[in-house]
Amino acid sequence: MIDLIHFTIIIPLVGFLINGLLGRKIKNEKVIGAIGSGAVGIAFIIALGALFQLLSLPESERSQVVTLFNWFSVGNLEINFAYLVDPLSITMALIVTGVGFLIHVYSIGYMHGDKGFWRFFTYMNLFIFAMMNLILGDNFVVLFLGWEGVGLCSYLLIGFWYDRKFEKGTVAQAAKKAFIVNRIGDFGFLLGMFLIYLTFDSLNFTEVFSKAASGAVPEATFTLIALFLFIGATGKSAQIPLYVWLPDAMAGPTPVSALIHAATMVTAGVYMVARTSIIFASAPAIMTVVVIVGILTAFFAATIGLVQNDIKKVLAYSTVSQLGYMFVACGVGAFSAGIFHVMTHAFFKALLFLGAGSVIHGMHEEQNIQNYGGLKKHMPVTYLTFIIAAFAISGFPGLSGFFSKDEILWYSYSNFSLGLWIIAALTAVMTAFYMFRLVSLTFFGEERFDHHKVHPHESPKVMTVPLMVLAFLSVFGGYIGVPELFSGEGGNKFHHWLEPVFAAANGRLAENAEHSHFEEILLMALSVSAAIIAMWFAWKIFTTNKELAEKTSNKFKGLYNILFNKYFVDEFYEKAVISPINKFSEGFLWKIADVRLIDGFVNGTAGLIDNISGTIKRLQNGIAQFYAVIMMTGIAIILFWIIFSL
Amino acid sequence: MGNIIINDLWSFLKPEIFIAGGIFIILLADLVIRDNRKAIHFTALIILIAAFASALLQMGTESFIFYLGKGNNHGLLAVDPMSTFIKLITIFSTILIVIFTITSEEFKGSKFKSGEFYTLLFGMLLGMLLLSSGADLIIIYVSLELLSLSSYVLAGFIAGSNRSSEASLKYVIYGATSSGIMLFGISILYGLTGTTNLYAIHTILVSPHVNYLTLGLSILMIFIGIGFKISAVPFHFWTPDVYEGSPLPVTAYLSVASKAAGFALLIRFIKVGFISSVGTNGFWNFYENFDWQLFLIILSIASMTVGNLTALWQNNVKRMLAYSSIAHAGYMLLAIAVLSEKGMLAFLVYIAIYMFMNLGAFYAVMLVANKKGNEEISSFAGLGYKNPYLAFGLSIFLISLTGIPPTGGFIGKLYLFIALLDGDMYWPALIALLNTVISLYYYVRIIKEMYLTKALDDTTIETSKTELTFMFALVAPILVFGIYFTPLVNFCTNFVRILGF
Repeated sequence: MIDLIHFTIIIPLVGFLINGLLGRKIKNEKVIGAIGSGAVGIAFIIALGALFQLLSLPESERSQVVTLFNWFSVGNLEINFAYLVDPLSITMALIVTGVGFLIHVYSIGYMHGDKGFWRFFTYMNLFIFAMMNLILGDNFVVLFLGWEGVGLCSYLLIGFWYDRKFEKGTVAQAAKKAFIVNRIGDFGFLLGMFLIYLTFDSLNFTEVFSKAASGAVPEATFTLIALFLFIGATGKSAQIPLYVWLPDAMAGPTPVSALIHAATMVTAGVYMVARTSIIFASAPAIMTVVVIVGILTAFFAATIGLVQNDIKKVLAYSTVSQLGYMFVACGVGAFSAGIFHVMTHAFFKALLFLGAGSVIHGMHEEQNIQNYGGLKKHMPVTYLTFIIAAFAISGFPGLSGFFSKDEILWYSYSNFSLGLWIIAALTAVMTAFYMFRLVSLTFFGEERFDHHKVHPHESPKVMTVPLMVLAFLSVFGGYIGVPELFSGEGGNKFHHWLEPVFAAANGRLAENAEHSHFEEILLMALSVSAAIIAMWFAWKIFTTNKELAEKTSNKFKGLYNILFNKYFVDEFYEKAVISPINKFSEGFLWKIADVRLIDGFVNGTAGLIDNISGTIKRLQNGIAQFYAVIMMTGIAIILFWIIFSL
Repeated sequence: MGNIIINDLWSFLKPEIFIAGGIFIILLADLVIRDNRKAIHFTALIILIAAFASALLQMGTESFIFYLGKGNNHGLLAVDPMSTFIKLITIFSTILIVIFTITSEEFKGSKFKSGEFYTLLFGMLLGMLLLSSGADLIIIYVSLELLSLSSYVLAGFIAGSNRSSEASLKYVIYGATSSGIMLFGISILYGLTGTTNLYAIHTILVSPHVNYLTLGLSILMIFIGIGFKISAVPFHFWTPDVYEGSPLPVTAYLSVASKAAGFALLIRFIKVGFISSVGTNGFWNFYENFDWQLFLIILSIASMTVGNLTALWQNNVKRMLAYSSIAHAGYMLLAIAVLSEKGMLAFLVYIAIYMFMNLGAFYAVMLVANKKGNEEISSFAGLGYKNPYLAFGLSIFLISLTGIPPTGGFIGKLYLFIALLDGDMYWPALIALLNTVISLYYYVRIIKEMYLTKALDDTTIETSKTELTFMFALVAPILVFGIYFTPLVNFCTNFVRILGF
């Protein structure tokens, strides 16, 4: 199946072409949905086959390149359309196609009756195509192709309902914001790529990484490359300072938020950092930057999440915060822990978004949780699966989120410092709190919606079955990565599986001091109990004692306002970046540089060319004799030139 | 002429034999089935496809044909990869021209005699095929005349059209003048060396006893004949008038195929006659004291600059494309002027893509002219809304002609610039680059007309499915080669070699 890996990319492309070219004519939603989901489903099966084949190979052979064709070779640069199958890429491929398939199926129900039904599935398949290129590409160019492709699809899908209003602006503006902010990151990534080519004379992963591992490159170069790559990652994976696009990305349909802005695309930055782990491991300064950016993002996004009232906004900030965790893991050198969290997060965050979609669907497009309440009995399946996901993300013992988050917390202490652990644990407590605030306000307490207008109802099977599958994965998905504390030496299968990919990076990183199991148990017990208390507390307040919540928020009105307005970061960017750029653009670039200098120069040149060409044109006057004269003059001049040059 | 081996003829001259035979077949068919125009179109296509296939089959072969004898192992014709490539280009563009002819409105009337048309077209093609292989000045001259005489008639093929007759007459006058000068040059060269065979001339010129002034004069005179064919400045004056007046399929044919053959002659003339060896780095070493490279560079720069600057003013799209083809000849001449294997590769890549994009542009213009009866730029107003498919196709051709990615035209320019920089020709590269910028203006002007200008009338411009399919068959390679160009470049790399080097 490894040899067939390119079909995981081609089949979604075929789905995209069929729905894109014929979707308008097919019209039948079932057919379009079946083509769209089927394409991703088949890709998943192939990826699964490749996984089993990879497992059957000895560890040293678990990195195979499937070359399709030579794309171009100019000078020394040779770029193949080739795909790399190794534990890391196949893990990501399974997440993308697996969760992607479930979300495609769910969308058949969610998008039912939308006038752009075919367009939706077209974009979704294009997204899977681009994402698979990003993940499986065997060189930076194919990765970049996918990187830009997912950015495009993200733009198209955020702006899917381009004619609707969103918050203070329009959906189209939100899409534009996502695209522009991402472009800033992409620019960094491009610079990193150029620098890699200059340094290693190649853009092929295998070649670059082996040259990077062999030493001979100064640390300063690594630092610069890693910095540029990380700027790219902060754009795509919504980290400080480029995270501002992700909350606005919620303007898109909910399945899009689940697939692109929670489970897959936003983790591309984490994947890229993990893929280039050897470069990051060679740049300790940037590793520290990654940790700091990651933990700040995790912490501040969680605080914002505490007070938001839009169900999708809460989940969006939660996503930003969880992505911060993943970067913390990478920054402290625990790359496989980061990827493990990518996987479990894909399960429960996709579930949360799809559950939220189900609620929004049942509540007639209402998204404000203050207008929900008591939905438990109206939507039993959604309720049950949603609460499982909430337990999982809060790190409740035994669920998937517990294993992955706890691992990150542990490494943040053992590989870095106690201070980092404290902030990370605090973030975990806040996560538990805002998740259960969300659960309580939505599913428990009194019904706060207008019964005459809104009739909450459970969603159809095509939507609830994917929820159940994801709920199952959110519960049991973590058991492939049980920490060695419980499973004994070498018992963490997931670690072991990814180990060869990160071997070079791990070899370069400094050895950390040994820590006892006692410390590990103590810290785990502390964080878990704090999180459970927070969960109980949130549930208690928001279900039975809402006045207390209001009182508290009134008491800390200043702080509440800051959080509710997301630290005024958007406003700050507006004042500090956008408006100066606008002013500078208008006052200098446009009125002086463009109008006077550039236009002046261009118009002047054009005028000059106009004059010259006007003269030349007159030579071509249609009179044969005149032509002959000029031709002979030309010949005579050349002849004199020959004579004099001898 | 000693030993002509029939076997050799058959194995190396199949394309020429097919086309020569084709002339007779078409003439006969014209007598028998005169009224069945379709059958004649069809016969012509079959013959051309057979010739194309046989040219493909002789890929990679190298040999002289028609040996001179007397212990001399040079021949009149040289079959080698470069000539095979030019044969492929010329035959393929003839196939495309036949399809042009079938859909052309100018050739719809009862006055159009398809039998005669194809006889002349095949005569032209035969001339080109022989020209690209010609290794002897006599055969070069004869095939050049075969090519020219047929094209004079084709340029004036629409009986009763003043425009067409004027074009034909001007073409004859200039053709006769330049071929006369060329013949004079050939005779001087013969007087200097005592032979007409290029390979033999090569051996004689190595000796330092040649009078360089006389030699320079004769080369210049021969070059005038070549410059006329590739319409290099200042031998280009006939081009716009003839291109504008000729029937559109003939114009398209002149702009691609006959230029390709002219370039083939130029390459062989330079490389066989005046290059002492090819260095290990792929650069050609001269043994002349006159700087022919500078001469070629100046002519190429003059061609592209004059072509582009004059094109800016044209309001007739056909005439604009005529100037644009002068500019493109300049780019190709510049690729050859690098005088290196990389330059040759750049030339081959360029002309292959040029064939698709230039013929495509002419075809799209023809489809509009079919309905409008003229090629004025105002006829294109609002085409983007009247016929979006046609407008899209034409836009791709124009963008490719400018050389903007992701089209094949960009790849052609890319390899040209790589070759230029490789040969340390920074100034010519810069001028070529500026020229590309200028050309953007007039190409985009058509696109602007199609999408931003409101149509003055509401006549529809309809195209049949077959016509659109054919046009998109030309769009496809441009877009594919724009992104995935390795196969094309690899293909062309096989054809850089010339017999003897």
